[in-house]
Amino acid sequence: MEVGQMQRRLVDYTKSLFMEGFLDAQFLQLQQLQDESNPDFVVEVVSLFFDDSEKLLNDLTMALDQPNVDFKKVDAHVHQLKGSSSSIGAQRVKNACIAFRSFCEEQNIDATLRCLQQVKQEYYLVKNKLETMLRLEQQIVAAGGSIPMIELGF
Amino acid sequence: MDSGFQSQIHIIANSIPPLNSSAASLAILLSSSFNQTDEISFDEIETKVAPTLFLAVTTIPYLSQISYVGLEGLFFSYYIDGNQTLSTYANSSFSSRKKHVWYKQPVDNQTGKLYGEPVTSHSFNVVNTSWFQVALNHSWGYSSLENGWNNGGEPLFLTSVSLLGKGVIAMGVPVKRLTDRLGGIINLYGGSLSLITMDGKLLLNGIPNTKFIYANGTIFLQFLWPNGFKNFPCSNDTPETYKLDIDGKEYNVRCSTVEISGVQSVYALALSHEGMASFVYSKINYSHIALVVTMVFFVIPLVFFVSSMITNAQRETCLHDKLIKQMEATQQAERKSMNKSLALVGASHDIRAALAGITGFIDLCLANAAPGSDFEAYLKQMSLCAQDLLGLLNSILDTSKIEAGMMNLEEQEFNLADLIEHVVNLYHPVGMIKGVDVVLDPCDGSIIKLSQVKGDRGKLKQILSNILSNAVKFTVEGHVCVRAWVREHDFKPEKLASTRKGLGKYVSRLFSDKNEGNGDVKAESAVRQNRDSVEIVFEVDDTGKGIPKEKQKSVFENYVQVKETAAGQVGTGLGLGIVQSLVRLMGGEIGIVDKEFGEKGTCFRFNVFLTAFEIQGDAMYGGTNSSFAIRNYSPKLGICTPSPKLDGSQVVLFMQNIERRRVSQKFLERLGISVLVVDHCHHFPSALKKIQSKLNSLLNSSRRSDMSCRSDISSSSSKEMPLSAMEGTEHKLPFNRRKDTPSFILLVIDVNAESFSELWRIVAEFRRGLHSTCCKVIWLDKPTSPCIDPKRLDPDDEILLQPFHGSRLHRVIKLLPEFGNLSQGISSSSESSKHPYSKTRLRSTQRNDEIQEYVSSSDERYSKQGPSSPTLVHTRGRLKSKRKNEDSAESSNGEMPLFGKRILIAEDNKMLSILAIATATQLGADVEHCENGNEALERVCNGLKAQRNYDYVLMDCEMSPMNGYEATRRIRIEEERYGVRIPIIALTAHTSGTEALEAGMDAHLNKPLVANELMKVIESLQTKK
Repeated sequence: MEVGQMQRRLVDYTKSLFMEGFLDAQFLQLQQLQDESNPDFVVEVVSLFFDDSEKLLNDLTMALDQPNVDFKKVDAHVHQLKGSSSSIGAQRVKNACIAFRSFCEEQNIDATLRCLQQVKQEYYLVKNKLETMLRLEQQIVAAGGSIPMIELGF
Repeated sequence: MDSGFQSQIHIIANSIPPLNSSAASLAILLSSSFNQTDEISFDEIETKVAPTLFLAVTTIPYLSQISYVGLEGLFFSYYIDGNQTLSTYANSSFSSRKKHVWYKQPVDNQTGKLYGEPVTSHSFNVVNTSWFQVALNHSWGYSSLENGWNNGGEPLFLTSVSLLGKGVIAMGVPVKRLTDRLGGIINLYGGSLSLITMDGKLLLNGIPNTKFIYANGTIFLQFLWPNGFKNFPCSNDTPETYKLDIDGKEYNVRCSTVEISGVQSVYALALSHEGMASFVYSKINYSHIALVVTMVFFVIPLVFFVSSMITNAQRETCLHDKLIKQMEATQQAERKSMNKSLALVGASHDIRAALAGITGFIDLCLANAAPGSDFEAYLKQMSLCAQDLLGLLNSILDTSKIEAGMMNLEEQEFNLADLIEHVVNLYHPVGMIKGVDVVLDPCDGSIIKLSQVKGDRGKLKQILSNILSNAVKFTVEGHVCVRAWVREHDFKPEKLASTRKGLGKYVSRLFSDKNEGNGDVKAESAVRQNRDSVEIVFEVDDTGKGIPKEKQKSVFENYVQVKETAAGQVGTGLGLGIVQSLVRLMGGEIGIVDKEFGEKGTCFRFNVFLTAFEIQGDAMYGGTNSSFAIRNYSPKLGICTPSPKLDGSQVVLFMQNIERRRVSQKFLERLGISVLVVDHCHHFPSALKKIQSKLNSLLNSSRRSDMSCRSDISSSSSKEMPLSAMEGTEHKLPFNRRKDTPSFILLVIDVNAESFSELWRIVAEFRRGLHSTCCKVIWLDKPTSPCIDPKRLDPDDEILLQPFHGSRLHRVIKLLPEFGNLSQGISSSSESSKHPYSKTRLRSTQRNDEIQEYVSSSDERYSKQGPSSPTLVHTRGRLKSKRKNEDSAESSNGEMPLFGKRILIAEDNKMLSILAIATATQLGADVEHCENGNEALERVCNGLKAQRNYDYVLMDCEMSPMNGYEATRRIRIEEERYGVRIPIIALTAHTSGTEALEAGMDAHLNKPLVANELMKVIESLQTKK
């Protein structure tokens, strides 16, 4: 594929991510932090987010699987997940986390399980999207192009 | 040759074929229709024989006669006489009672039937002839030579064959046919032929003086000479050749036998030697001509080819030769140039050092100089000069760069009018010392209108300076005039008259252009392509020695100087070469304009292409200038619609220099100002008086009409003016008042023309004579030797330093009421400033705006809207947007407001910590990171001990093993011992930060960390401090 075409595709794709609410302005902040001295910043942070979240989700699943659910622990995990998702700008994961936490406070086990499913779903969705985007970026870089800046008014 | 003829004769002889076979087959054919025994009756002959005979005579070639002869005398024959076929017959036998008579009757050519009346014909006794007897016994044809039946009895080759022994069929071919053909061929080649049958019947006797003799069965050829004869045997089977001399010609006679139509014959062929030779010769001539022609056709191209090859070879050798020489020369030149460059580089280092010293000391002086003093101004000028010198030095070093086409234009925005004025002012003092006035001619004012342009300021200045310095240098008296205007274009540069004349030079220029290097050409095209580009034409006109016509071309070459003028003047001769290169780099062309005969000096003209930025009057002021702009625009608007209060002003120019006077006058008049020019001191008082009288008469009349007079005025005015004149003009003045009479008089007086005191006296007298009319005097003084006594001046008067052009001229124009002067403003400003000099010296920024304001007013009032204004508006829009981009880019990544700050980030989430570190690092901070409260405390304590405190601590609240609140509390305790308070900013995921503030943190930030918010917090902390 031609570089210009790929660049256009990347821009369109990224825009769609923003439009559909997968990502928010925080992700732009993240991108702005990437510069010559730190060229793989976004990739690093995103992969870190993936590791972190996967671990947390595992922990959460395990914690909710216990006969006596320790809601404090669950809440701490969700809090962490919320922190990392908000720091990457994964808006929908963050929103799901917020709902999760409110149910944690209620100690509603059914709702928390539902929320876990939702968080997981959102997480895998955003992961998928982010991976696609990063792959596209890598392709552009490999083809010798530069990654276009996405300008969105937030 | 002979054999050739012989074979030809044989061929012809054979062409009359022996008729034996056809005769025999005819006989067989006929015999089949008869009985062996029966007599053949004439009827049978007519019905059976005659059609066959007719068929034969019409089909067999050459056959001219065919006949049937019966034994008994019955006879039937067809023969051809001319075109007519005739028949001869005898219908009675010898034995019949009828008389044996032959009849002749014409025959129908188509059918063979007889028609017409039979005519009795001469009869032959055929039966008794020998050939008949012989033929009767031959069943296979017998050939003989006999006479035919026709009237002439012409000889025929007769072939006869017996028909059943009762008759004979005879077929005859005329001899004449053969002899005609033979004779025709032989005569053609100048020979002759005689022919005889073996039995002695002569067929043809062509050879003169000879005859055949038949004796004893042998044929002899007898040659007859006048004195006798000689016989040669001729009937031998083998051909024999004799040489004979006939009529003085030598002949080869050859005898040979030939069978013609079955008849054995002998022929003698006589061929003349000469005849043969002449024949050959004639043929040879033809062939020679043909040969020669062929040769010629072959040789001409050959010669042509060879010669062209030779020329080519010569040319090539010549070229090689030249190339080698050229290469040597080039190498030498390169070596020289290299050495020169090296020397220059060496020298430049020293010169630079010296220059650096000069500029340094100037700066030192400048620091000590009283601000606003002349001294400071001069120092600044010096500093500028030194910088220019440095620039020039660099440019000279760049000459080689230019030549290689590697010099690039450094585009920047600048004020063109300012630049030109600056350069002119630079050389004004130089000229003044020599008594040469350097005048800036604004021409149509288009340059002032253009104002902001984009281009290579330094190089343009260099070009102008170079030409101007040359002009000043080589001018001893008179003036140097600098003109500049914008050419309304068509992009095509005008052909400068002196540089290009005729096709040849044009072509040569083309080539020289190529040699000039691609860089120039590229730059040129690039410059031309720009749609916003304006073409600006400069002229530097001096009254110096001038350059001789024949040298005008060469002055632009490097190191060339016009020798006659070089005495006493120094220079490298590099200047104009560089100038030309630079001008071409800017897309223009430089040349010398031809002057009128009798005019002195030289006029250089060059054009450059710059990018226009804006046209003045488009209201571009904003921001800091806004108040000024508002102040200036309001009067401008008033001017646009000339109010009745503001009448035309009268400007009196009294200047020494003709050119400056002319230029100033022209410019003022162009703006619609009434100008009175005084060229000599003697005329000055009278001119002033004239104005005075005009004014006073007006004043008197107006006083009379509207009764607003003052008594003291009337008394003084009546003293000055003759009453009669007043009376005479009285009735028409009120109508013309607005147009003819000035309400404001501005005197511009060059103090150098006359002693100051004398001038002052005249002006004072003039002033006395004036009454209500506002009069202002501008005293033009030399900057070098001021001779004006400021104390004697009227408080309204101003002193301007020469040169009176450019911004100073504009300022003077601005003093006129119709150009925005509010008299109160002037008076107040003049009162406020104690020293007149300080008032006249214009601050550069202010000057700029003033000029622009003034031009904008004049623009709207006097000039049409520029045709290029839409594009310019467009340009500006683009520029604005570009700037905006730059701004945003700057704010996003350019600045590093936290540069040098040490920040500790305590954050246990790896991802969030990376984010925070990156954010802070991008803001320029020196970041350290720790994972929990314990570590944070430890690091802070270490910092406190080592006296290297962190400037800020970013603390995550929920960490383990020690959380942020706890860590903060402990830090607060720790740091109290050192008497410091490190700002600690909480990073929380919670929206409210009350807990954090309670724990002793200074501020809190929501996670994730955002640069703007971090900066906001830090700024607020700083202001708190």
